[in-house]
Amino acid sequence: MSPDPSVDVRVDRIRCSGHGICAQLLPETIRLDEWGYPIQSAGRVDARAAKRAVDFCPARALRLS
Amino acid sequence: MSLANLLDEAGLTGRGGAAFATGIKVRAAHESGATLIVNACDGEVGAAKDGWVVAHHLPALIEGARLVTGGRPVRVAAKRGSRTLELLTRAGVDVLAIPNRYVSSEESALISLAQGGLARPLTKTIPFVRGQGRDGNDRPIPATVVLNAETVWRVAQIADRGPGWFRSQGTATEPGPRLVAIGGAVARPAVLEAAAGMPIRALLDHVGVATDAEYVGVGGLGGILLPRDTAGELLWSSTDLARFGGSVGPGVVTVHDPSECIVDTVDHLLTYAAGESAGQCGPCMFGLPAIATDWHALATGIEASTADSRLERRLAELPGRGACRFPDGIARFASSARTVLADHLTAHALGHCPTHPKERHVA
Amino acid sequence: MINELLWYLSRATGITSIALLTAVLLLGVVTSGRRRPVGERATILMGLHRWLSLGMVAFLGVHITTAIAETYVSIDWISALVPFTSAYSTAWVGLGTLAFDLVLAVVATSLLRQRIPERLWRRVHWGAYAMWPIALVHGLMLATSAEPILTAITIACGAVGAAGIAWRLSTGHADRDARRGALQGEWS
Repeated sequence: MSPDPSVDVRVDRIRCSGHGICAQLLPETIRLDEWGYPIQSAGRVDARAAKRAVDFCPARALRLS
Repeated sequence: MSLANLLDEAGLTGRGGAAFATGIKVRAAHESGATLIVNACDGEVGAAKDGWVVAHHLPALIEGARLVTGGRPVRVAAKRGSRTLELLTRAGVDVLAIPNRYVSSEESALISLAQGGLARPLTKTIPFVRGQGRDGNDRPIPATVVLNAETVWRVAQIADRGPGWFRSQGTATEPGPRLVAIGGAVARPAVLEAAAGMPIRALLDHVGVATDAEYVGVGGLGGILLPRDTAGELLWSSTDLARFGGSVGPGVVTVHDPSECIVDTVDHLLTYAAGESAGQCGPCMFGLPAIATDWHALATGIEASTADSRLERRLAELPGRGACRFPDGIARFASSARTVLADHLTAHALGHCPTHPKERHVA
Repeated sequence: MINELLWYLSRATGITSIALLTAVLLLGVVTSGRRRPVGERATILMGLHRWLSLGMVAFLGVHITTAIAETYVSIDWISALVPFTSAYSTAWVGLGTLAFDLVLAVVATSLLRQRIPERLWRRVHWGAYAMWPIALVHGLMLATSAEPILTAITIACGAVGAAGIAWRLSTGHADRDARRGALQGEWS
């Protein structure tokens, strides 16, 4: 299924505790800093990948917007 | 004309630092029946104008609050143990006493405290004025608007004297009178009634700057550092200050003590900042101590070039990655200092200090 | 004949459920504990944690259905949902039912996680630390002396799981420690 960049994800910085799964599932827009917290670059992401990242985050720190 | 329309026409913007259009906030507050928290905390380092408004214009402040909420509850926030809190309490105002922590005066921290939580920032998904926000325990927050004390005072003034009066001072893009607190190495620290467009030199002359003062901070810990000569050539306006990454912000100007090495001054400020993280967001709770450590390495001159490239990278990665703008402010301040003090830092890396030329520098 | 098949199927799926539950517990503990995997490993472990838990529910379903269906001992479907109501071995079957109820609560809140308050999800999820030992006791007490393998596996699961929990409680974790440290200060 081809990627369809149509949603934004936002990180709840207070909930985020640096698991790093989002960087794994959304590598085009998220990378990790030296302490394991996400650095987001601008840009929309594929809706399916975003939903999976939102579901997988152990801290429930991602939301779609 | 409605209050919100009056404020739109006057062009009043928040005097707490964020400079958001007050008319828009007041309109939203009226629409959602929001309660008001007046921020009289003087939370920024070197701040004094909130207390000045409470000390000299309390009746107008109260009137402005009444206009904003139309009789709905108002609380005025101030620091525990401060003279401002004492004055407010004595006047019978419903006060919100905050702990003496840097981020506790942040808008969402005040809301969190008012809800019975801790005075630490909250994640903002929706503007709190709309009444759909949630606190740290996922509990709903009733519609609340937070306005700086000076802003609320200006609301009363505009309602009384009209938008034309307000616009007759300042500039077209930054209209209206503004308070600015000037302190540090000056003869007469004071809160001045100023306006955008005034030369900074005139403000400094008014308070009597020490002749050997070399550096001026504009905006406190979340602002920028300027060489005194550069500051003297600028107008007090966000337009002019933006050229150096700054703004009029919360109305704080600090003339730094010339007898202390400015690199050490920044070192103390960044160390203080690191200890003031609310400890909620990774980039802040780990990033600020790391930045302070890097600056300290630059101050002692030990492995300075690796510390400098690490610092540059960390400063670039910090903004926008916390729940509040505290780390953004620190990144702004440290970046500004790193740029302005480049030559001074080079001297430290070579083992000497322009401020204390006879000693090998040890921070 | 069918009855015997159901009986053995119930035992087999029962012990499998305990093993899967222990694995799911360990995967959860590794995710929340200290030397947490970051990035790729974290994703794989989280995926396993979620998928194995659903697999476990499937095995549990067979375990319970066969236990009700076989007539060797008397367990009806009500006692599969309401603890301590079965005629056979009320206490130990009851523990199994209790553990199953907790499994349902954990799985339901996890599936609905985006729609419920986070603190509700968290408190129910902590129920897993109660659910797991309850399931183990259920297994131990209902394994007969003719099935030493069941007892052995259950004890092994207990040991491995206990080690995982002990590790989780004893190790530090940079993010958690930093948050706790900040809370020492004055914030109200």
